[in-house]
Amino acid sequence: MTMNHVTKRFGEVVAVDDVSFSLQPGTVTGFLGPNGAGKTTTLRLLVGLAEPASGEALVFGHRYAALDQPVHQVGAVLESNDFHPGRSGRDHLRILALAGEVPASRVDEVLELVALGPAATNRVKTFSLGMRQRLGLAAALLGEPHLLMLDEPANGLDPAGVRWLRAFLRSFAEGGGTVLVSSHVLAEVAQTVDRVVIIDRGHLVADAALDDLAGRGQTLEDAYVELTADIAS
Amino acid sequence: MRAQLRAEVLKLRSTRTAVGLLGAMLALVVTAVVLHGYGVPQENLEAPSGQLTLLVGWGEVLGALFAGLLGAMSFTEEVRHGTIRPALLVSPRRGRVVAAKCSASLLAGLVFGLAATSAAAVTGRIALAARGQPVTLDGGDYVLLVAGGAAAAALWAVIGLGVGAMVRSQVPTIVGLLAWVLFVESLLVDNAPGLGRFAPGALGQSISGLHPDTLLAPAVSAIVLALYAAGAVGAGTVATVRRDFV
Repeated sequence: MTMNHVTKRFGEVVAVDDVSFSLQPGTVTGFLGPNGAGKTTTLRLLVGLAEPASGEALVFGHRYAALDQPVHQVGAVLESNDFHPGRSGRDHLRILALAGEVPASRVDEVLELVALGPAATNRVKTFSLGMRQRLGLAAALLGEPHLLMLDEPANGLDPAGVRWLRAFLRSFAEGGGTVLVSSHVLAEVAQTVDRVVIIDRGHLVADAALDDLAGRGQTLEDAYVELTADIAS
Repeated sequence: MRAQLRAEVLKLRSTRTAVGLLGAMLALVVTAVVLHGYGVPQENLEAPSGQLTLLVGWGEVLGALFAGLLGAMSFTEEVRHGTIRPALLVSPRRGRVVAAKCSASLLAGLVFGLAATSAAAVTGRIALAARGQPVTLDGGDYVLLVAGGAAAAALWAVIGLGVGAMVRSQVPTIVGLLAWVLFVESLLVDNAPGLGRFAPGALGQSISGLHPDTLLAPAVSAIVLALYAAGAVGAGTVATVRRDFV
């Protein structure tokens, strides 16, 4: 996944300003920044929901829209609640499996994988936030992708769920997969990721290995606060 | 493309939206036909054109309206609940997604139109019998009502989809469609009949043979309404392909 001098404007506001970074296979990268920094916009640009004003957002060397079968390459969870409340979790997955031409048997496999199982036949309006996160992750995993992009995936998970997610992301990366995970929970990020990318007000302010950034007697939180305060001063 | 269509059909079947709209439509059709069966003056209900326009024609009118709402909601509900995002992640070729929605809307519209006009035809016979009024409609009239009503509803579903894809927000889309059908069209038909007969609601009615003295012939109406539907879904496709989903 590569961002190549990407700029995105919404009217007068520059949401993402000349941002470049790329991800390495087999790593988990934390994607950090204050609210409104441009994290969400960056993820939308990468999966083709928004078009950059200039530059290129590429996944596996192509624009997302030009990928042949994106479900087998990229899995993304952009919002924790992109479900119809009156539809069952299982039907949500069946619809995506049909559209992505993924075998129907994968639906039950991914439900098993995220430990949603029998509850998935209920309508999503009865789901807790943690269950919705699991359902979103199940949808992202339908096509057995090599790249995962997750926006605040631990939000709403119980402690056991957070632990499970951390182990899952580690084993996904150890199997050669690539993960980009945005979060505000720095303590959690510090336990999960190999690399950190930080953006602030649309600008890239850090792209480094976790050890380089949080070494030198600093915690990740110290480094983060320092970096995101720089531009304001 | 077939995979997309199957996904769209499952979307319609897996929530209560479509079934709820169908039920509400049928209840309204029966209510409208029964009330007009009692209320319309005797002399207006003798000729077949009167029975068609003032009584069983409500099946066409309500079938087209509800099909239009269903078509619009097939897009606006995805925006409202955010399901458009996972849908476009799986199918980034947006033109194909709209094309699949168009086919699904056509099919659902046909079902709505057939159901509404059939219910109106049956209720109309019962209402006329209850009033002791002989039925003057012949087989050809019924065929035109049901086949024309199905075609009108299918095309209205596509028009609704096109409007929904352009507007995206659910409430403005629905309010806009209702305001057009209930208010703007009547103004046009009453005050500028030459123009009003080319309005999409009036065309739906003339496809089924309603108001044969003032509106266009069924075949011409079907062609013009099909052009509107093609224009609406074409504009909806351009809006969907060009604009961001954030």
